[in-house]
Amino acid sequence: MDTLIPQENAESTIPIRDSTDILKARHRARELAAALRLGSADQTRLATAVSELTRNVLQYAGEGECRIINASSDHEVYIQVVVEDHGPGIPDIELAMRDGYSTSGGLGAGLPGVQRLMDEFHLTSRPGYTCLMIAMKRPRALSF
Amino acid sequence: MTESADFTLGQVLEIRQEELLNAWMNSVLLTWRRKYPHTAINEDLLRLQSRQLLDELRKLFSGAIPPEGWEPVPGSKIATLLYDFSVKHAKHGIKHNDTVLYISVIKQLLIRALLQDAPPACRVLNTLIISMDHVLDRLTVTLYDAYLETRERIIAQQSLSLLELSTPVVRLWDRVVMVPLIGVIDTQRARQITERLLEAIAKYEATVAILDVTGVPVLDTSVAGHIMKTIAAAQMLGAQVVMTGINPDGAQTLVKLGVNFAEVTTRATLRAGIAEGLLRVGKRIVPIKE
Ligand SMILES: Nc1ncnc2c1ncn2[C@@H]1O[C@H](COP(=O)(O)OP(=O)(O)OP(=O)(O)O)[C@@H](O)[C@H]1O
Ligand SMILES: [Mg+2]
Repeated sequence: MDTLIPQENAESTIPIRDSTDILKARHRARELAAALRLGSADQTRLATAVSELTRNVLQYAGEGECRIINASSDHEVYIQVVVEDHGPGIPDIELAMRDGYSTSGGLGAGLPGVQRLMDEFHLTSRPGYTCLMIAMKRPRALSF
Repeated sequence: MTESADFTLGQVLEIRQEELLNAWMNSVLLTWRRKYPHTAINEDLLRLQSRQLLDELRKLFSGAIPPEGWEPVPGSKIATLLYDFSVKHAKHGIKHNDTVLYISVIKQLLIRALLQDAPPACRVLNTLIISMDHVLDRLTVTLYDAYLETRERIIAQQSLSLLELSTPVVRLWDRVVMVPLIGVIDTQRARQITERLLEAIAKYEATVAILDVTGVPVLDTSVAGHIMKTIAAAQMLGAQVVMTGINPDGAQTLVKLGVNFAEVTTRATLRAGIAEGLLRVGKRIVPIKE
């Protein structure tokens, strides 16, 4: 069963420089989730989370990088996504995580929404560096 | 003997730089002008960049020869020069083999110069040629990678702007208009869609606007935000909005994100949306009776 998982996809890095890179990143995320046999709801969840974080990078930092990592084991599907940038940073993390808080006239639902969509969510930020690490964990689908 | 051991490509480049540069430019430009008679080539810039590239090669080959397995460091002067060169020519539609020709021409010129200048019985000549050959091969790969990346980027952008053109607003019935949203909704497209929708509402005196999002691949907060603004604008003109085509996965995700379209009527399918829209203007689709 493990042979079904593309090994070369263990980690892929997508530089985020313009809006086509958002499409690329969320496409990769969806592809990996599908290859690991996650259902379409989970595929959509992951793709949306990646879309939110990479769009934030473009919007607030100009450019950055998205790494999609397959760290699954025999009994668990584990997809980790790390999104980093060297932009201005988030001065008040607590505020940024509040529903409805936006400095750009957006809905302000991106960061808190991603936290609700994912199983793990870590945000570190200082001037010149912002890193978001999110992960989705699921028990392995039974093979038959 | 010592003389021959000290012989480097750096020396050759130092003595022959201008001569090599001229021969290089003549050969490359001759081919390009023949193949791309309608492309304006900035010869001064090309010459400047090529001179810088020769400078970098001279530095690289001045002391000990570059180690086996040498690769250009991303972001280094030499890599940046090639990257810029490649990006520019890819954008101007110069084909990849004609871009790569740039390096293969200087490679031949350098090999010829090495063979001519080497002192008799030079022991390091083989090593030198092999090393230079390797370095220039890696530079070709760098050039080629940058070229492909740029072409892919251009193609992706073109397909995006094709999508941009397709925002029809359809008049379904008296007072009912419909917009099928397809593809990527960014700020610019959202503004365009809103404008078209408002025009159509005014023109047809529509009281119902159906917004179909079946063709939107990912409904994230940014897209949702744009759609909400479009809806608010339509409502301000007095139209009721019916949104259709949110699939179950998308609906679940939106709820988790904390986005709700509370003030809008939503229907799962376009079909149900059309029925609802017609109902609101007092119409119904019924089977034809004989
Ligand atoms: N990578 C980042 N660098 C700097 N600031 C950021 C970054 N990501 C988010 N922020 C800040 O955090 C705020 C909240 O982000 P969040 O994604 O939740 O909402 P938003 O982007 O404003 O709106 P939307 O709901 O459309 O995503 C942003 O307005 C911005 O000020
Ligand atoms: Mg956001």
